[in-house]
Amino acid sequence: MIKIVKRDQPSRAIFFLTPILAIFLTLVAGGLIFYILGFKPFEALKFFFIVPIADKYGFSELLLKATPLCLIAIGLSFCFKSNNWNIGAEGQLTFGAIVSGGVALLFYEQEGFYILPIVILAGAIGGMLYASIPAILKTYFNTNEILVSLMLVYVSKLILDYLVVGPWSNPEGFNFPETRQFSDSARLPLLFEGLRIHAGIFLALAAVVISWFVFYKTYLGFQMKVSGFSLKTAKYAGYKGKKMIILVFLISGACAGLAGVGEITGPIGQLHREVSPDYGFTAIIVAFLGRLHPVGIIFASLVVAITYLGAETAQIFMQIPKYTGQVFQGMILFFLLASDYLLFFKFKFIGSKK
Amino acid sequence: MNTNLKISNVTKIYPGCVANDNVSLEFNSGKIYALLGENGAGKSTLVKILSGVIIPDEGKIYLNENDLKLNSPLDAKKNDIGMVFQHFNLFETLSVFENLIIDSDEERESLREKIDSIMRKYNFSIDLDIPVLSLSAGQKQKVEIIRCLIRNPKVLIMDEPTSVLTEQETSELFLSLKKFSEEGILIIYITHKLKEVMELCDEVAVMRRGKLVSVSEIKNENIESLANKMVGQNLKTIKKKKEKTSSDQLINIINLNFISEDPFETNLSDINFSVNRGECLGIAGISGNGQSELFQVLSGEIISDKNSIEFNKNYIGDLNPQERREYLMAFSPEDRLEQAAIPQMAIFENVALNNFKSSNFFNNGLINENKIKEHSKKIISDFNVNTDNIELKSQFLSGGNLQKLIIGRELITSPDLLICFNPTWGLDVGAINYIHETLIKINEQNKSIILISTDTDELLKLSDKISVIHKGKLSKIMNADEVTSEKLGILMGGGN
Repeated sequence: MIKIVKRDQPSRAIFFLTPILAIFLTLVAGGLIFYILGFKPFEALKFFFIVPIADKYGFSELLLKATPLCLIAIGLSFCFKSNNWNIGAEGQLTFGAIVSGGVALLFYEQEGFYILPIVILAGAIGGMLYASIPAILKTYFNTNEILVSLMLVYVSKLILDYLVVGPWSNPEGFNFPETRQFSDSARLPLLFEGLRIHAGIFLALAAVVISWFVFYKTYLGFQMKVSGFSLKTAKYAGYKGKKMIILVFLISGACAGLAGVGEITGPIGQLHREVSPDYGFTAIIVAFLGRLHPVGIIFASLVVAITYLGAETAQIFMQIPKYTGQVFQGMILFFLLASDYLLFFKFKFIGSKK
Repeated sequence: MNTNLKISNVTKIYPGCVANDNVSLEFNSGKIYALLGENGAGKSTLVKILSGVIIPDEGKIYLNENDLKLNSPLDAKKNDIGMVFQHFNLFETLSVFENLIIDSDEERESLREKIDSIMRKYNFSIDLDIPVLSLSAGQKQKVEIIRCLIRNPKVLIMDEPTSVLTEQETSELFLSLKKFSEEGILIIYITHKLKEVMELCDEVAVMRRGKLVSVSEIKNENIESLANKMVGQNLKTIKKKKEKTSSDQLINIINLNFISEDPFETNLSDINFSVNRGECLGIAGISGNGQSELFQVLSGEIISDKNSIEFNKNYIGDLNPQERREYLMAFSPEDRLEQAAIPQMAIFENVALNNFKSSNFFNNGLINENKIKEHSKKIISDFNVNTDNIELKSQFLSGGNLQKLIIGRELITSPDLLICFNPTWGLDVGAINYIHETLIKINEQNKSIILISTDTDELLKLSDKISVIHKGKLSKIMNADEVTSEKLGILMGGGN
């Protein structure tokens, strides 16, 4: 007989093992879905998870997708660690892209080493401005940041839509909904000839290092940790709760904004309607799969990035809709939440006594 | 038919506290029994055992000589034990009728008839088809009672039922309870309100610190005698030397008011008091009368009008706890595990929660871990915390050791005033004595204490002056020498 028993305390080992269990269960369930759809499960999974990254180009693509996911997830981990539920990173990414894109367009046909830093900074500020809206509404008007940040995503996408169709659209673009191409000085440099991986990856790595330092070495990190465990304790210790809420939202907005910059000044090189395939939402899964730990988030972003690539490969070779990628992302989160049950409970095998 | 309920040698031990210590009681139908005791006396534990929520470590329950195995609330229901909790368990958006039938498998039509006849019989008038949220507290309670009555219970347990009722609703409830009793239902009434016991009950069992203190008939008791039993005689093992305290005023609270937006909190009205240097002011009261709110207002978790708190000749009502610490105040909240400390964090991290500037725990925004650890070691040795590993997560400390750590953390900055809220709640005797000695020592060093506590023994032992909080209002401040536990008991229950 199996009995479920509450653990005396959440297990540390299980804490880091459950993400791996979740990925394993996702593969099993994914294989099952492929089987039901009439594909050979192992072959399908191979197309999904192995073929896309089997060559140099594929690996570069993996890093390209993982970069924004990692960057946004790092930013989100500041919010989530301190009990602030910013789920509007997609909007902050979009708005960051709008602001930095606008600045890049100002420098249209100009060259100069100073342009790129200004464009990058503009993106971070754009993201911060956009994240400050839910933060300020939460601190001063007691609104729910989940709703506000989520709804602002759609606002930002509509603003982008308006800009690329209307005032910012390329005059020589035959009415395509896109802006002019940015000048080379406003583009993040490519790392290797022929591959799309660009210098944005350094922004993500810098974010990882800085966040690790902030989480574990600074007073801010300590306050975030305390607030994450108990808001009552944070209040009792006298932490300035409002200031911290705004700060973590700004950090998270800046990261999302930078991810937006990476997208438009890296592979795309202009603003158009679809600057992000929902990186901002997927990064929420990445943040939790990585256990809000900087190193964990690196691995999680790589795993989740494969689902984007796999979906494309599977569409090309097996005619499976690319939305399967989202199914896999959903399953990862689903199984992660489910296996979190093991954090607090354990199974006990009891021999039948009677 | 007569019902006989017997509790035999029931013991329930929680880590660091014996909630029920070998309790034996016998009840017979036809009478209304009161189970009386202060908060933490163990009456809730006993009731939860009777209703199957908690399984006792030792002891047995017999209903009409049958040994009951109460492993879940369902078992209690099956054995005709009905329970009305202090907080209602109703679905607010469902209708009264839906709430009543939700755990029943009888047919709807026959149930409706049954409910109608119960309501006629006991003169309840509630519209069955309106949602529960539009009912008053008294009506909601009636719905809970009807839900028990549907099952024809032999025993009906009421846990502090009048805490949410108006006077009018209370007397209606008493009439119904008397009627049930006449019908042969055994009624156990849990309360700390002495007046109600006198008015309603036939027999009273008093509990204190997990033990059954006495069982007696109401006609042999009066409010004073019950108060005395409930609160206990002063055990003056540790005696505070009553010296002449100074007249040097340290803190002065002036017309302090707090109106909460949360309906479950208590508003504070017109709080005025002052504490001199070297003095301990005790604030007694039954929990839920505004103690938690008062503590938060004093600690700065709730910010009030700047001029309402004068400390050491500074007005500090608008400062947060961290800022107040710089003026040499210190705070020990009631809830050790959810507020005063974070169980999942290491001991030294918990020490860093008291960020007193000159402790230099954080320099230029960076954590100065060496400093914190050095400090933590000092606290552990100075305050007898029974561990030498400051990296240990604080959840592994016993309640007593954790409280020593918290008090140590607060006192290591040599504050002028320590405000503590139930500092010994749930601790074992050794730890209680240690904390009491520490508090007395603080006073001897000419530093002051505000002690908010629901433990009257503790207050009488440690305080120089005592006031009672009732429904968010303070009684006049009395000298501790002139106060008796009877008098406190009466004031705590809202008497004069």
